[in-house]
Amino acid sequence: MSILPQLIINSIIAGATYTLITLGFNLAYGTTKFLNAVHGSLAAVAGYIVFFLGRSFGLSIVPSAALGIFGASVLGVVIWRLVFRPLRHRGASPAVLFLSSLGVFTMIQAVLAILFTSQFQQLGNVGSPRYEFFGAVITKPQVIIILAGIFIFATLFILLNKTMFGKAVKAIADDEEVARIIGIQTDSVTTLVFAISSGIAGLAGILIGIDIGIQPTMGLWVFLEGAISAIVGGIGNIYGGVLGSFLLGFAENFGIWKISGAWKPAIAFGILIVFLTLRPKGIVRN
Amino acid sequence: MNIIEAKNLTKHFDGVLAIDRLSFSVANGTITGIIGPNGSGKTTLTNILSGMIPKDNGMIIIDGVALERLKSYDARRYGIARTFQNVRVFEQMSVLDNLLVVVTERNVWGALFERHGEYHRARVLEVLERIGLRDKQTALARTLSYGQRKLLEIGRALLTDARVYLFDEPFAGLFPEMAKLIVTIIHELKADGKTVILIEHNMELIRELCDTVIVMDSGRLLAEGAPKNVLKKREVLEAYLGE
Repeated sequence: MSILPQLIINSIIAGATYTLITLGFNLAYGTTKFLNAVHGSLAAVAGYIVFFLGRSFGLSIVPSAALGIFGASVLGVVIWRLVFRPLRHRGASPAVLFLSSLGVFTMIQAVLAILFTSQFQQLGNVGSPRYEFFGAVITKPQVIIILAGIFIFATLFILLNKTMFGKAVKAIADDEEVARIIGIQTDSVTTLVFAISSGIAGLAGILIGIDIGIQPTMGLWVFLEGAISAIVGGIGNIYGGVLGSFLLGFAENFGIWKISGAWKPAIAFGILIVFLTLRPKGIVRN
Repeated sequence: MNIIEAKNLTKHFDGVLAIDRLSFSVANGTITGIIGPNGSGKTTLTNILSGMIPKDNGMIIIDGVALERLKSYDARRYGIARTFQNVRVFEQMSVLDNLLVVVTERNVWGALFERHGEYHRARVLEVLERIGLRDKQTALARTLSYGQRKLLEIGRALLTDARVYLFDEPFAGLFPEMAKLIVTIIHELKADGKTVILIEHNMELIRELCDTVIVMDSGRLLAEGAPKNVLKKREVLEAYLGE
């Protein structure tokens, strides 16, 4: 039997996973213009909220996932208001904001390790249903990841293109100072953007947790894959982010066809270096 | 009645005095020109009046309200709209969206679920007609010519329904037809009882449009009064025209 259908399905699953991470990442980057490493740790936090609620209170996956997404969203807003917003008001550069996000990221990762140990944990049932599709196998959580990717992309598309909020977000992304002068409540809009992007990070973390499991250190992988997909696609552009995610998903999975899976990160960073050298503004130049 | 009063305004940049104890007033419903050589502090003054940069000392009184600190997001609340010497439109957005965003719901939660209605579109289309860009409404702002971008900026200011319009060199680099259009808009604003503050180097336009002219030099007030009187003063000619 050919391995090709499975490689294609795996690439699509990886692309959808990266899309989920990158959509939230790009939404926040577009308005705030800095690489936020905390995005990765919020995915881990949401995963651990689901794990904790399931283990301690026996809560089923749907309500605990809703609380996990809400928790990530609230934590994202709290960090925005307490750390990044004051720094931006003091004129901090994107580099300073990135370094501060690494600090918060490390702190969250350490707290998760202290509370839940560094052990790998599985969310949901490991023996989930499997479906065959043109000779390739796909699990129920993986189907949900693909559907969630499509749903979040469609929702953001409508939000950014059809609502007044979306126009305000685009105006802030373009020129925050002018947006402020014409009366857009830039602080409130940016806070809401952080709430939405953190919630999306939380959803990604939970779905990754159900599919492959959670660890306190997973945030780094989530952040790096999100950042690479975003940069390759065209940072700050949610459509570019989707293209970057699928390019990365296909390149990683086809790249390890004949070699060890341990080369996946090397492939991702190889693509990043190629893009930074030859097309630094990404696929969709903004 | 004065809509804007500035008392002893001072602003430094890294030890350089950009505005030096500047005091002046702008009467409601008038057109006031601000002139002065490059580096005289005109744009710094506009930036202070629109809340983009803080003053170091002094006082700004807007419509009788003394403001300790005017911030950029206060500008619209106090009825101040502005354009920029180096045009700043929302490059990635269409011409229509550049204007629709001005009439966006102020409540963020409301904006999250609301779309622009016919009322908003009608207002925007009226302004697009006024600035002569109705046929460009779907074009991305970054694809417009320099003059069209200036007009778009003015259209954006018009939609804020401000009481004071700060126009920073609106005629610079424009074709005569576009300049004529802006002259018409400024006359219309005055007829509507609005106040216009115009930073301009073209003395003919200052004479034609302005009720009052403020002359700045090295951040200080050099002269103030009707253009026909002020532009004849020897110190003004020396400082500004180099005569």
